[in-house]
Amino acid sequence: MNKSHDEIKALVRDTLVRAGSTFRDDKKDAYRRAIAAETNENAKWVLETLLENAEAAEKNQSPLCDDTGIPHMLLEVGRNAVVSGDTLDAIYEGVREGLRKLPGRPMGIMGSDAQRIDQSGGLDPDSAGVEPAPILIRRCADDVLRLHILMFGGGPAIRARTYRVFHKHSVQTVLDEICAWAAEAVALLGCTPCTLAIGVGRSHFEASALMLQAQADGRYGVQSEIEAEITRRVNETDIGPLGLHGKTSVLATFMKVGPQRASGVRIVCLRPACCFEPRIATVEIN
Amino acid sequence: MIIDLQTPITEEAAASLRAGDKVSISGYIFCGRDAVLPKVIQLIHEGKADFLGLKGGVIFHTAVSPAGVGPTSSNKLEIESSIAPLSEYGVKLHLGKGQLHPETVAALAKYNAIYAVIPPVTALLGDKTLESELIAFPELGMEALYRLKVDRYPAVIAAAHGRSVYE
Repeated sequence: MNKSHDEIKALVRDTLVRAGSTFRDDKKDAYRRAIAAETNENAKWVLETLLENAEAAEKNQSPLCDDTGIPHMLLEVGRNAVVSGDTLDAIYEGVREGLRKLPGRPMGIMGSDAQRIDQSGGLDPDSAGVEPAPILIRRCADDVLRLHILMFGGGPAIRARTYRVFHKHSVQTVLDEICAWAAEAVALLGCTPCTLAIGVGRSHFEASALMLQAQADGRYGVQSEIEAEITRRVNETDIGPLGLHGKTSVLATFMKVGPQRASGVRIVCLRPACCFEPRIATVEIN
Repeated sequence: MIIDLQTPITEEAAASLRAGDKVSISGYIFCGRDAVLPKVIQLIHEGKADFLGLKGGVIFHTAVSPAGVGPTSSNKLEIESSIAPLSEYGVKLHLGKGQLHPETVAALAKYNAIYAVIPPVTALLGDKTLESELIAFPELGMEALYRLKVDRYPAVIAAAHGRSVYE
């Protein structure tokens, strides 16, 4: 039975609050494993404090981080599911309500194109003034309408990179480039340990879309050989939690490789998702 | 061992800190980031900053909003470039996150000032924040200059006296 406009709105609102305040169970487990393995005293203290913060945020349903992030959404559409204009309206209204309830940081910039660039138009005092990024849609095997909400912070956006890699017909060439980018980005991020989200596609748009899907699909307990290699190599840099050295600079790598073109070039999108990301929650809305 | 730091921070207290020390910060601290710090420095250059009471103080690189507080990257251009002039003026501790450039670490040493990193634990910091007051530049909204009264904010000294944990 299809849900009403108001029912969808309420589900989206509560899912956004969950995304901004709650670690998934596999992420909590990843932190516990990292704490158990860490021998650097300051690094262990940071990891324990981050997990304690997550427990407090979940209990209070309050923000994990004061940079509550920009909502990014992935909508999965099953065979008989219907997405109407009204469905999208309900989703957007739910996002606005969720941002007010969390509460999101009021960081929407007002004004003309030029004013929004140089921030001279002022800040919208309403948390709901933070508009979500365009919704990404994909088919899914289950006969559902499933919405993933991810909250993207500013620090990872500063350090992320989408660029071409000449692969020279060697996957190792691409991995070497990814690891070099990641080591530089993770060192500057500050909010480590991070989760590396990677998309490999044929265009900048496709690579970015795959990077977002990698965060929706990734699980900390499930790592491919390539993902495990990237994580291991970046952890060898000894950057550590909060940059204080230690074994855990990266908790895991979530990578999605899309279709590729006959060419010497691959487009790679790398986002060093911070210690709280992916801030994600999922709900079925049909 | 955790070292208790009470604001305002004395020259002696700053001199005693070492990179890698864990500290607990209590008292009044200031909050500012990209938008407001250049304006504060302009006030200093104009000789109009004394009313702020920054000397011996702590500047936490954060916005102050209904979502709470938490460190932004201190190596952002407008934030990191504020560290040397604010230290020269008398700010004793800069609180944020991320690696600083060697020239900033050297400037901190020159003025006996310290850089500390704080975990971005907004949910926990909420319980440790006792008061919040807007001090200057209200037009900047959450990026204005705020003063907080805090109780035992946790941090690790990341740069002191020319040494850095990022070496």
